[in-house]
Amino acid sequence: MKKFLLDYGIKVRLPVILFVIITSFAITYYVSYAERNNIGYQPEQPIAFSHKLHAGDMKIDCQYCHVSVEKSRFASVPSVNVCMGCHAVARKDQPEIQKLTQYYNENKPLPWMRIHRVPDFAYFNHSVHVNKGIECQSCHGEVQNMDTLAGNKYKSVAQVSSFTMGACLDCHRTAHDKFPGLPNLRKGPENCSACHR
Amino acid sequence: MDKGADKEKNLKSDGQTYWRSFSELYNNKAFRDALNSEFSSEELNGLRKNSKSSLSRRRFLALLGASAAFAAAGCSNYRGKGQIVPYNKKPEEVTLGIPNYYASTCTGCSSSCGILVKTREGRPVKVDGNPDHPVNKGKICAKGQASIVNLYNPERLKEPMVNEGGRFIQSDWNNVNSKIKEALSSANSSGKQVALISHSVTSPTFKKIIEDFQKAYPVAKLYTYEVFNESARRSAWEKTYGRKSLPVLKLDEARVILSLESDFLGTDPNHIENTRLFTSGRDVMSGKEFNRLYVVEGAATLTGFNADYRIRLRTDAIEEFVLCLISELVVKRKISPFAGDSQVLSMLSGYKLDEFAAKHKLDQKVLNYLLEDLLKNQGSGAVIAGDMLPESTHIAVNFLNEVLGNSKLYSRESESTDVHPLSTSDEIETLISSLNSGNVDVVIHLDSNPVYHFSPDYSYRELLKKVKVVITLTEMINESAELSNFIIPLNDPLESWGDYKTRSGFYSLQQPVIAPLYNTRQKETVLLEWTGRNYSENLYHDYLKENWEKSVYPMLGTTASFDKFWFASLHDGVAFIQEKPEASGLSFSKDAFLKSVPMKASDGYVLLLQNNNTVGDGRFASNGWLQELPHPISKVTWDNYAAVSPQAASELSVNSDDLVEISVNGRKQVFPVFVQPGLADKVIEVSLGYGRTAAGVVGTGVGVDAGVLVSAKPAISDRLYNNISVSKVSGKYELASTQEHYPIDSDPLLKDIHKRRGIIREGTWLQYKEDPKFLEKERHKMDLSPINKPPVYAREDYKGYKWGMAIDMNKCTGCGECIMACSIENNIPVVGKDQVIANREMMWLRIDRYYSGTPEAPKASFQPMLCQQCDYAPCENVCPVAATTHSEDGLNGMTYNRCVGTRYCSNNCPYKVRRFNYFDFRDHFKDSYQYSESFDLMANPEVTIRARGVMEKCTFCVQRIMKEREDAIRENREVIGSNVTTACQDACPSDAIVFGNVNDQDSQVAKYREHELGYTVLEEIKVAPNVTYIARLRNIFEKE
Repeated sequence: MKKFLLDYGIKVRLPVILFVIITSFAITYYVSYAERNNIGYQPEQPIAFSHKLHAGDMKIDCQYCHVSVEKSRFASVPSVNVCMGCHAVARKDQPEIQKLTQYYNENKPLPWMRIHRVPDFAYFNHSVHVNKGIECQSCHGEVQNMDTLAGNKYKSVAQVSSFTMGACLDCHRTAHDKFPGLPNLRKGPENCSACHR
Repeated sequence: MDKGADKEKNLKSDGQTYWRSFSELYNNKAFRDALNSEFSSEELNGLRKNSKSSLSRRRFLALLGASAAFAAAGCSNYRGKGQIVPYNKKPEEVTLGIPNYYASTCTGCSSSCGILVKTREGRPVKVDGNPDHPVNKGKICAKGQASIVNLYNPERLKEPMVNEGGRFIQSDWNNVNSKIKEALSSANSSGKQVALISHSVTSPTFKKIIEDFQKAYPVAKLYTYEVFNESARRSAWEKTYGRKSLPVLKLDEARVILSLESDFLGTDPNHIENTRLFTSGRDVMSGKEFNRLYVVEGAATLTGFNADYRIRLRTDAIEEFVLCLISELVVKRKISPFAGDSQVLSMLSGYKLDEFAAKHKLDQKVLNYLLEDLLKNQGSGAVIAGDMLPESTHIAVNFLNEVLGNSKLYSRESESTDVHPLSTSDEIETLISSLNSGNVDVVIHLDSNPVYHFSPDYSYRELLKKVKVVITLTEMINESAELSNFIIPLNDPLESWGDYKTRSGFYSLQQPVIAPLYNTRQKETVLLEWTGRNYSENLYHDYLKENWEKSVYPMLGTTASFDKFWFASLHDGVAFIQEKPEASGLSFSKDAFLKSVPMKASDGYVLLLQNNNTVGDGRFASNGWLQELPHPISKVTWDNYAAVSPQAASELSVNSDDLVEISVNGRKQVFPVFVQPGLADKVIEVSLGYGRTAAGVVGTGVGVDAGVLVSAKPAISDRLYNNISVSKVSGKYELASTQEHYPIDSDPLLKDIHKRRGIIREGTWLQYKEDPKFLEKERHKMDLSPINKPPVYAREDYKGYKWGMAIDMNKCTGCGECIMACSIENNIPVVGKDQVIANREMMWLRIDRYYSGTPEAPKASFQPMLCQQCDYAPCENVCPVAATTHSEDGLNGMTYNRCVGTRYCSNNCPYKVRRFNYFDFRDHFKDSYQYSESFDLMANPEVTIRARGVMEKCTFCVQRIMKEREDAIRENREVIGSNVTTACQDACPSDAIVFGNVNDQDSQVAKYREHELGYTVLEEIKVAPNVTYIARLRNIFEKE
């Protein structure tokens, strides 16, 4: 009797348990992939700003506001005076613009919610990528089509691709396949000190 | 440490004083008791039953689980990444991630060197030398580099303070200013003196403000002092040449240099320029014959250990030596017109060089070399005497230079100028006597600390009690501030405006690179307010500009507008003007020489009070980075000590870490002993500037105050005493050295190991001239048995650019400026004395000092040692997590976030250049001192702050390499190796460090790599390091 039970445990129960554990792990792993990598992260912003309106419809170049993207590590979130460059005149009647003007006049920092982030120990550099001809959209998605949501107008831009080291290396290794339009593109560096210092 | 010694040290430097007077809160008894009991022995030895918590283990775990669950439930926004806050109105000049550079002037000492401050997003992160400045030419000493720490020091004064019944109460500017103005006018009306006490004044506009102040308050008098000054040299110059200003010495044109107790390459305030000029005569690439340096000294200085011939001689006999030398030249060899001068001959009659040499056991052969060299190089030699030597010695040295025609080397183009002369000792005496008679109503310490600096003979501390109002203007609490009625918080030099003039031909400008962090003002503004002007943020700026428009701008004779000139000068940091020394000729007068009374040598012990490269006269005591910078010779950090020769050590029966009591004219002080090879037999050297009693948590109680031995009326000079008494006292004191205390090993197996293993390879100039390839041939003498075996594993060829470094040991003096540059650039924390004792200092770059020869008269070799970025790096193949890997441009990368801290790599590193974070030192050192909010601003944002438990090391400044790569991509070009400079290279005053692309055959680094004197350290282990050392050539007559 005892012998039979042990036999049953090893031959039937154990494989079933292992199968359940492995499949549930695998399913959870794939299902939560986006969640873990922050894909779809779309925080509420302090001002209902629409990239679709500015970059999409009006076709304002990304670098008109994100000024240092060609020069520096940081693309830079535009300072309030950049917004006011137009909005001191344009659309002054809109409540969201009045909110912006208030920030400007009171000299208060405008607390945008951060959407994309690489860890502090990774030194990602915008300028080297942009100066090689890589489009902003390659990593940030079709930002020019991201509009404020109907349900919550303070939500607009979301993260669309993974910002993990795996994602960086994937592109660095297969740069030619990823960007067929850029024949002069060299393979991205794969050594540690390219990003970590 | 022995308890007695501990007690003794605490008695001398009461570390609590600062806090006691600063804040009542921290001084209540319960708080102190709690502090003390936290780590009391009782607590550590066993648990007290009644002190146990009533919480059971089960209950604790239950609570822990529950709180974790609640915490998890509460954190619904686990994806949140925080905010990203842009500027509201971005300053035009700021681009995120791109540094700005501003030219300014360093005020760390009276040299007033030009600096270039790197700022990131408006905050200064690094101080380098200003390349346009004609004196320091792009280089700056360790103190200047570390001055950035002073700016962010969390203990800076933040508000004006008023002393009310022994306690300092925070006040506001209006209140303080009105009270002070009242005191000043009442002193003025009653005819009592207002004494302004300052360090040397090198700013013309500041001098003008003091004149304004004296107009408003005619009773005001200015006194200036400097602990390390060259007044003996200056007064000797005035007596022999009739002029006050010293000409600049053209050291680069000198073929032979005789230095007498002068540390012109080490602790001299102008050592940056001196090092550049001196080492320009030691360039193997130029192929020119080296200059030759003779050093006669009692101390063991950096200059001495860089000499070709070093003659040990007790300091008080140096003047006799000079006179014997003159006698030998003038009387015996009939050199110079003075040979026929009966007065000179009679003066020199008693001095015989051979008798002197026999008496002091000097090597006659070396003396002959010296004489021949001086004779052969008449007109292109230089004899330099140290600042601590008395006036009579300087007069004799001036005479010797005149005899040899060496006055040709005094520049006719440039001379040092004095904006305001230092007060003479007589003037200080007058101040003391008027203080004593109660004739002084107000004393104002203008960023000076006379309570600590003045000789105890003056009993200045007690005299201050007789003064109605004492005002101290300072950045941090100091000994003088503690005894003041008002403490005026000053701006840091990096927050201040100013102008400085130390040489003819140019002015140097200082501009703020950050707005004042706290409610502070600069001393010029404060004085202007006291003269009756209304405060505004631009008060001194406008005054300075106005003064320049009136006084400096007309000297230029330009058609450009003043505004153009002003902004151009601010941009450059210097303004050049048409100005020549007053008279172009020098007329020597022998009268002073005939009249001077020579210094008398003794047989007893000689005490030298030395300058240092770290805390200066104590001004930098609260700077942990400087306190931890190892002494260039002894490698001791965090302390001063009595350096004694091995001979004196055995005579006094002391060893390193023992204690000795030194008494001078009845005043005594106890010092820890460090046995210093190479010191003259009966010479003891002690560094000044230590033992501060009020220098914040970092500086208070570090070292022992040697200033208490300074005499107001010294027999020889204020820094040189003979016939002192020294005795051993019981007790021990542990010194923290970054190199072993007993460097000359008695073990025959280890003797001269650095030469046998080819770590240090040297030759002589003659040897090199005879056979340029001698180094290659000498390889067979070394233990290079494994040299012909192939490497363990193959590596790819480096096809593109490959980084490499070359260090020219002929130029490296071992000064250590590179260490400081590296520490500031790479966010290297201070670890504290206890951790240095445990060999846990974190500096990525160290300078190894090797001795060879006898302990009495050793030769020293210096070698900067940093990660060698080996092609076959042994650290890489032992890392279990691949945290250290190689890149295709030849770098041995270190990825901190991958490191798990096994320390295998360090174990396998033949050069021992990897540093392990045993603690989070920012947290561990002085109760999270380095985690103070203000220090966050200091960190270089391009370099990761390393966590505890990871390995770190030199990366060849990979952040600068990546910067060049980014620039190359932006400009659509290839990477240019010479565009990258490492931090150590930038700081090296002699340009001994060269960095670049070794695959570029035209680059300087490639040429050094191919040079016949180039070698790599531990060549036989075949790890193919990428740091090439150029073998040092001693310019001596013998062959080694």
